[in-house]
Amino acid sequence: MTDELRAMDHAAVDELGAAYALDALEPDEARAVRDHLATCTQPHAELRALIGADQVLAVTLEPVEPSPALRERVMASIERAAQEQAPVAQRPGAAEPRQRGGWLDWLSPRVARPLAVAAVVALVAVGAWGVTLQSQLAERDRALRAVADAIAEGETAFRVEGTAGRGYVVDTPGSGAALVVADLAALPADRIYELWLLDAAGTPVAVGTFTPADGEVAVVELERDLAGYTTFAVTVEASRVDAPTGDIVMAAPLAPS
Amino acid sequence: MTDSPPHDDALLAQRIRSGDRSALGELYDRYASLALATALRVVADRQLAEDLVHDAFVATWQKIDRFDPARGNMRAWLLTIVRNRALDQVRGGRASIEVGAADEQALLRTSANPTWEAAIARRSTAELRSALDELPTEQREAIELAYFGGRTYREIAVLTGVPLGTANGRLRLALAKLRDALRMTDAAPSGAGERLGADEAGQ
Repeated sequence: MTDELRAMDHAAVDELGAAYALDALEPDEARAVRDHLATCTQPHAELRALIGADQVLAVTLEPVEPSPALRERVMASIERAAQEQAPVAQRPGAAEPRQRGGWLDWLSPRVARPLAVAAVVALVAVGAWGVTLQSQLAERDRALRAVADAIAEGETAFRVEGTAGRGYVVDTPGSGAALVVADLAALPADRIYELWLLDAAGTPVAVGTFTPADGEVAVVELERDLAGYTTFAVTVEASRVDAPTGDIVMAAPLAPS
Repeated sequence: MTDSPPHDDALLAQRIRSGDRSALGELYDRYASLALATALRVVADRQLAEDLVHDAFVATWQKIDRFDPARGNMRAWLLTIVRNRALDQVRGGRASIEVGAADEQALLRTSANPTWEAAIARRSTAELRSALDELPTEQREAIELAYFGGRTYREIAVLTGVPLGTANGRLRLALAKLRDALRMTDAAPSGAGERLGADEAGQ
């Protein structure tokens, strides 16, 4: 910023009022006006009266009807964004105490998206399977470090959601995939979760089962990699079956984000 | 412009903030055609303009926590986002889906004065257009170059071949006349135009 601008006096600021209101100042001039107004004891009523005038230009344009597809596109993007990032008022921890302590909750979806199989492998390696992380902070920290390392690898993950809970399917093409979930709904003693991969025709293939324990992070390696499949799903079954009999309680589309 | 009551906008913002996707749909239905008109006016490319409108609504959803109803209404916020991204495009920059500092500075600049909003709300679009149309051509051209072209008054001076003071004076006269045409006599002390000399005003 030049000395002239730094020393901008009341008259000079008023002189540029219309240009300021119309966003027609050079950046350093605009900054000088803004700084002056922020600290000046004079009312600068004339300048302030012009602020907002540019909205007249905006609203006098002849409206242009968007293509019908644009609305669908916007709403689809909003849907995806809503899944990835709830608005502030709904975000856990923003306005209310966190009630769950699973480490997945500590990661924003945007950050957690690149979760990788490397993280899962690391978790298994350090014995995180079945570990109650809330009570074992060292394990939690180690898990988070593993996740951070995985993020650096830039691998992909697919968010899994449903009535049973939420988690991620993490994938390293050629090296396998795994489901990582926390705080899943408890099951009756005679029920298990069964994992499925579905192809584009909707044909399911069983890829594992598990039974979560309350308050634990579960890491379940899938028996197949994701190549050739379009959907991941979880059902509740009495025992391992070859075709699902229960309702889908969690699912994820396996499309690149 | 009676179809954009600010209090409704505030309610819409509140609903969007609470995660109500249908509220974003209502916002879209209310302002998408105006947002597209703004983007199209700046970039003159229909597909690009629709992309910019898409990004602006997604940004609105994602960054609704940065919208402050005390500083303006949703229409002004949305159109500011659209305009900034459209201008980024024509300047060769990369439009971002984020709501950035430029938007917030623009909001401070555009919406701190409710008298223009009140004038807009009280009048039909035809009346507002008429007020613009009645401006001398060089003054209307100057403010359109500023708003839709993203030009500074220094650039406007070069583009229109007039001295800096004349370009700046045209902007001042245009807004003073608009204010008078919209009978915003309560918005500011009179005399904004009278203080300009004939040479400065370029007429």
